[in-house]
Amino acid sequence: MNEKAPKIMMEVKNINLRFGGVVAIQGVSFDIHEGEIRAIIGPNGAGKSSMLNVINGFYHPQEGEIWFDGQKRPSMEPYEVAKTGIARTFQNIALFKGMTTIENVMTGRQLQMNKNIFWQMLRYGPAIEEEVQHRKRCEEIIDFLEINHIRKTPVGSLPYGLQKRVELARALAMEPNLLLLDEPMAGMNVEEKQDMSRFIVEVNEEFGTTIALIEHDMAVVMDLADRVVVLDYGKLLADGTPKEVQSNQAVIDAYLGVPH
Amino acid sequence: MEILHMIFIAPFLDMVALPDLFFQGLWDGFVGGTLYALLALGFVLIFKASGVFNFSQPILMVLAALALVSFYEMGINPWISVALVLVMMYVLAFGVERLILRNLVNQDGNILFMSTIGLTFVIIGSAQWIFGGVPSSMIHAELGFPVGSSEMPMFGGAVYFEHIDISAAVLASILIGILAIFFSKTKIGRGLRAVADDHQAALSVGISLNQIWVIVWFVAGIVALVGGIFWGARSDVSFALQIIGLKALPVLIIGGFTSVPGAICGGLIIGLGEKIFEIYWGPMMGGSVEGWFAYVIALVFLLFKPQGLFGEKIIERV
Repeated sequence: MNEKAPKIMMEVKNINLRFGGVVAIQGVSFDIHEGEIRAIIGPNGAGKSSMLNVINGFYHPQEGEIWFDGQKRPSMEPYEVAKTGIARTFQNIALFKGMTTIENVMTGRQLQMNKNIFWQMLRYGPAIEEEVQHRKRCEEIIDFLEINHIRKTPVGSLPYGLQKRVELARALAMEPNLLLLDEPMAGMNVEEKQDMSRFIVEVNEEFGTTIALIEHDMAVVMDLADRVVVLDYGKLLADGTPKEVQSNQAVIDAYLGVPH
Repeated sequence: MEILHMIFIAPFLDMVALPDLFFQGLWDGFVGGTLYALLALGFVLIFKASGVFNFSQPILMVLAALALVSFYEMGINPWISVALVLVMMYVLAFGVERLILRNLVNQDGNILFMSTIGLTFVIIGSAQWIFGGVPSSMIHAELGFPVGSSEMPMFGGAVYFEHIDISAAVLASILIGILAIFFSKTKIGRGLRAVADDHQAALSVGISLNQIWVIVWFVAGIVALVGGIFWGARSDVSFALQIIGLKALPVLIIGGFTSVPGAICGGLIIGLGEKIFEIYWGPMMGGSVEGWFAYVIALVFLLFKPQGLFGEKIIERV
């Protein structure tokens, strides 16, 4: 991240989200700077995934505003949010299990493919050029994430760590401005975590993609993130650099538990 | 010995002895097969796009055929009637998406399946109310399809070709071809498969479920109309066509629920199988085996290849 005054890419203001009587998020506000890696942490049930789902359009908060690229965003469906350049991965991997790796990644190009359907059916002219071009981009991403050896494998049969990587590849294929990662390293061993961390940093540095991620592994968060938001019981507990957050008494209490 | 001879030897001797009759059986079976394949594709379409066995597909066929005939009987030009039916199918697709599917996003497949059963009864009721339930005959002649038949000398005998059968086989094959390409080569085809696999993931890459669903239900409606015209021409236009529509089920079991080539192969296997069985083995069982033989073939497949010839073998990681 550069030291110049950061540009705010996304800002959530005073988000309140309830499911019936259950309050999932309560008056949470924070922002995401362009080009940074922003971590959202907190104990289980703190409302982290809910927050991501709000940003992504899966949940619609009862109160609060979302500002993206300097504009207030109206209530949007997830597929509309995707069109604004926000991609995501899921905590419990959501891949197209019947498809191969390359096919999964190609779905990420869905929005960019807009040649006439009749050309596509004829496999002729502009449509075939378009297909080739997108395929090339997907192959680059597959290379980048080192999943070349499983290009033609149906993803349902892949081990967990690789599925997570394919999911990341699909999100990257969308060439998003903002990438949301919901526990990208959950259930991985140390080596896989290191690989994934490396990929995240490289995506951020090479493509300049802004990343917001949820993660449980504190060591990883402290390493990766530029700034950290801490949620607890749906409320904002702290917001700052990893160092600031780490020394925050409220955060320490929430994580280690204090007698009430 | 007598009975073994009757089952395992005599039919084959008959086939060789009267090749023209055998060829006639093959041709009839082939025509039936392409039409079964077309029916099955209607199911595959919706199964691919929502992971749901659309129980209402046969009734869509009845509805399309019934509406077409009714419009014509009101004195409307036959081709304009076809256009009107297409409009009706689009409105239906739109309504199904708005009123049913939209509210069931991310629900279990069984729930969606139940909703299609409900839809079936709604359509049966309203179709009877609007168009009446009296069987009538299809207007294929008025639509310009050739009627009558020609006889071609072949294998020392003669084979009859009904002209409507020829049109049916040709048109069904063309439609199947277009659909196959539509599925495998286009962006929408890829979107369909994505939606069938995972709603959330599809949404997250920017695929609109609503749009995809309207498209597939409309295309399924078109398929139903073409199926309705030709099946209606082969028998009557009545609610009994539903039974034929359900023959797509064994076709799908053989071919796999998600596969276009599977639907084609399955359709042909059922079409040819039941025709040949009817001719050569039917008499010893007192005839009329056509009605149930398809299900016997399907049962055999269920025992040995439950995912069908071309079905996706889903590997569940535990």
